[in-house]
Amino acid sequence: MTGKPQTARGYVAVQRLRPALVGLMAIVGLWLWWPIAPAAAREPLHSAQAIQPYLDRVADAVTEFTLDNGMAFIVMERHQAPVVSFMIHANVGAVDETDGKTGVAHYLEHLAFKGTSRIGTRDFAAEQAVLDQLDAVFTNLLAAQAAGDTAQVTQLESEFETLRQQAASFIEQNQYGQIVQQAGGVGLNATTSADETRYFYSLPANKLELWMSLESDRFLDPVFREFYEEKDVILEERRMRVDNSPIGTMIERFLEEAFVSHPYRRPVIGYQDDLFVATRDDIQTFYDTYYGPGNLTAVVVGDVNPAEVKRLAEVYFGRYPSRAAPPEPTIDEPAQTTPRQFTLTLPSEPWYLEGYHRPSLGHPDHVIYGMIESLLVGGRTSRIYKTVVDDAQVALNIGSLNGFPGDRYDNIFLLYGLTAPGNSPDEIGALFAQELQKLQQEPISAQELDRVKTQARAGLLQSLASNSGMASLLAEYQAKTGDWRNIFDNLTAIEAVSAADIQRVAQTLFQPTNRTVGKLLPPPSAQ
Amino acid sequence: MPILALVGLLGVLLLAWQAPANAQTPRFYDELEFPPLRDIEIPAYERYTLPNGLVVYLLEDHELPLVSGSATFRTGSRFEPADKVGLASLTGDAMRAGGTTRLDADALNQQLEQRAASIETSIDLSEGTASFRSLTEDTEAVFGLFADVIQRPAFANDRIDLLKRQYSGSIARRNDNPDGITSREFRKLVYGADSPYARTTEYATLAAISRADIQQFYQASIRPEQTILGIVGDFDSAQMKQWIAASFGDWQPSGVELNATMPQVNQARAGIFTVAQPQLTQSYIQLGHLGGQLDYPDHAALAVMNEVLNGFSGRLFNEVRSRQGLAYSVYAFWSPRYDHPGLFVGGGQTRSEATVPFIRSTLAEINRMRTTPVTADELAQAQDAVLNSFVFNFQSPGQTLARLMRYEYYDYPQDFVFQFQDQVRQTTASDVLAAAQARLAPDQIVVLVVGNPEAIQPSLDSLAPNTAVTPIDITIPQPGA
Repeated sequence: MTGKPQTARGYVAVQRLRPALVGLMAIVGLWLWWPIAPAAAREPLHSAQAIQPYLDRVADAVTEFTLDNGMAFIVMERHQAPVVSFMIHANVGAVDETDGKTGVAHYLEHLAFKGTSRIGTRDFAAEQAVLDQLDAVFTNLLAAQAAGDTAQVTQLESEFETLRQQAASFIEQNQYGQIVQQAGGVGLNATTSADETRYFYSLPANKLELWMSLESDRFLDPVFREFYEEKDVILEERRMRVDNSPIGTMIERFLEEAFVSHPYRRPVIGYQDDLFVATRDDIQTFYDTYYGPGNLTAVVVGDVNPAEVKRLAEVYFGRYPSRAAPPEPTIDEPAQTTPRQFTLTLPSEPWYLEGYHRPSLGHPDHVIYGMIESLLVGGRTSRIYKTVVDDAQVALNIGSLNGFPGDRYDNIFLLYGLTAPGNSPDEIGALFAQELQKLQQEPISAQELDRVKTQARAGLLQSLASNSGMASLLAEYQAKTGDWRNIFDNLTAIEAVSAADIQRVAQTLFQPTNRTVGKLLPPPSAQ
Repeated sequence: MPILALVGLLGVLLLAWQAPANAQTPRFYDELEFPPLRDIEIPAYERYTLPNGLVVYLLEDHELPLVSGSATFRTGSRFEPADKVGLASLTGDAMRAGGTTRLDADALNQQLEQRAASIETSIDLSEGTASFRSLTEDTEAVFGLFADVIQRPAFANDRIDLLKRQYSGSIARRNDNPDGITSREFRKLVYGADSPYARTTEYATLAAISRADIQQFYQASIRPEQTILGIVGDFDSAQMKQWIAASFGDWQPSGVELNATMPQVNQARAGIFTVAQPQLTQSYIQLGHLGGQLDYPDHAALAVMNEVLNGFSGRLFNEVRSRQGLAYSVYAFWSPRYDHPGLFVGGGQTRSEATVPFIRSTLAEINRMRTTPVTADELAQAQDAVLNSFVFNFQSPGQTLARLMRYEYYDYPQDFVFQFQDQVRQTTASDVLAAAQARLAPDQIVVLVVGNPEAIQPSLDSLAPNTAVTPIDITIPQPGA
């Protein structure tokens, strides 16, 4: 995320005295840039027929086109207010990185706010010459450090600093963001996850062409300036989200334990050692490989005329030369054959995490995993909440992450709990086991099945009320499944699921040999 | 007229329709001109009062088959007794968690979740809230449950016990996250540890709260003449009025009214303070002092100041983050409240050894606001950002309804948001300078650093050589202690 400068209206009062039952969802949402839209879709019509006219209306409001260069556009008309939300969804995330170069996808996302050859600079020709020298000195510096040549390191560091200040003298700082905000743009930000990188903001509806101009320039002609300053920012971000956050450290470790070779085992923000040695060339190579128009999906939702959007898209984004399709990452994770378990000792009250391998969103059972999640932890009537929090009271709160850390490829279905005072993670684990076995042994009731289906319908309806929410939902389904209509087809698939289907998937999923358990414990002196 | 010519003329007309002002080639952002934005539409709403004093707002919105509503109650944790901190919050949670006298907690949960509906209640510092969300077809049933939760909470003992246990768990976990420590302790330094605006629930204050206390606080807080009810969504107003009359018409207050004497607010401490957390590799920093209210005459000038300091191209982001690479997050806000002094608060996180440079840089930017007028470009940028994004205050009917209710609750004029717009438009650079000089007080600044004292080099002493750095102990007082 490229920083979330709080807005003048955004300072949140921090005086809440209520139990700060921090959900893992909230933490991971910050830490892993968890996509927000599918979660919203999971929250809350009794019959499938009742919702259909509304879904049809939405489908009628959506148009789509693909430019000659392969870039896909989805436009949803919504004329309630004269505003419009935009999103560029790049189908690239940390999963596409290579070992030793972790964090590059997220680094690129930060640098995509640094401008172009015309935005963010006072004299690009002069600036570019200094940037090239700076990169050369940095390469030599890395070599000198590797060789342990301290005299050379000192000399190069001094040269580096001089050049860095010279480069800084050409910069119009954050001009890209300044233009957007001055024009009345809100919500300007970006996120990187394991699967995708998303760039978004909203504008008053009369400024459609401003987005076309700025956003097309941004990925036609990016200049990755302030590269070394931003490295420091990202290292601070890593310290904040991982090193100084017990649960952040726990999550990073959990993925390393649950996966042996899958790229999902690496942190989105990257390892510190990789970030130290990352070069501008690494970013450029990654950009050249993954930011071709065929790998981008643009979504425009709001008070717009679709014909006008198409015309402008051809003018502005039609400029992108088409590029070869990027390679798919290699996924060669061996099947897990024995239970895995680890403990981490950090200054924190205890947490219990338990994860199971599940298939990607392309699997025919995809929606069933979401329904199981809803049955187990969705709301006060859900099975695990009722048993663990309400009745046994061994956990203060429980939660889940389904499709963790992404779902383009095989991933993890994770359950977690925060211990109540005087209780241990093992007590939570024992009750999880009891509830999971019950789901394997007995079919769920018609009432529960009906509840989960109603909640899926209502959840989709709620998400239709937000321009920015719809922009991210349409983009995600288009990019990951090839068709935004799968948003609605998933609902149809959910209608068809039976109690026996739930039981079948639960029997396969919740096997001890498929499980990784992680416990976060305080140091013995603190217990 | 020959047919051919007619076709030709039509062709010319069609071309003429296509051509005006349309870019056929890409234009740089500064070459663009924009058509005027269509006017903001304020949706029609209705406001009326029931004989028992309950104020009602209704706003129909038929885009989707959904209805939602909320009730705001004149209460707040700032009115709870000092030896029972946590009472207001616990009352707010127990209203919902304990079920009603007609329906126990499990049955209530079942009835709501089976319909994908929700009801939530809470009491925070300065208000109480109950809200509901429902599909259109369930509105009558869910609204009935909503009225039940507000008027007939059961306060079941076992649910109160569970909530108290959960609150204990939160106390135990309150030092797990350095951000939480920083914001909590900063408030205590500014408002005073015993101030209703900063105090925290402790095992002892929690243990002192009985079911009778909850019942009493509920009766004092949740009363028709102290309630504003607002409903937005896919309903028919005539029908909704009947349901409101049937569910809330007979509601009468009981018990003793709340003693709503506003707490006195004075700044408690100033200086440099530190919480030792040796395991951290970063310092978590907040600095600032007591702030003010939204109804101050220079509110708009201070909002402009916030824009200049913050945001994607604000001075702090440019200087401390982008230029110096000192932090992922850095900010400094004048953060006013509606009816009591808020905070002026800045801060961020930085690696331990950069703590003093970070604080110096942030304070330098704050001081610059007081000594030098903002530039014409900065002023234009800040004003444009507020005025051009003004339309985002009117994205949905629910947003308008929430604003109307908030203004009524805090006794602000209903057009306050438009007054603010006018004032921002009229703000000058000297207004911003005058406001910064009047409201920012360097001698009142509290600097709080949560971090590893060994690794903070140069040390915090270097910030103010003649001032002691005061350590703060955040050990959690144990039950019975």
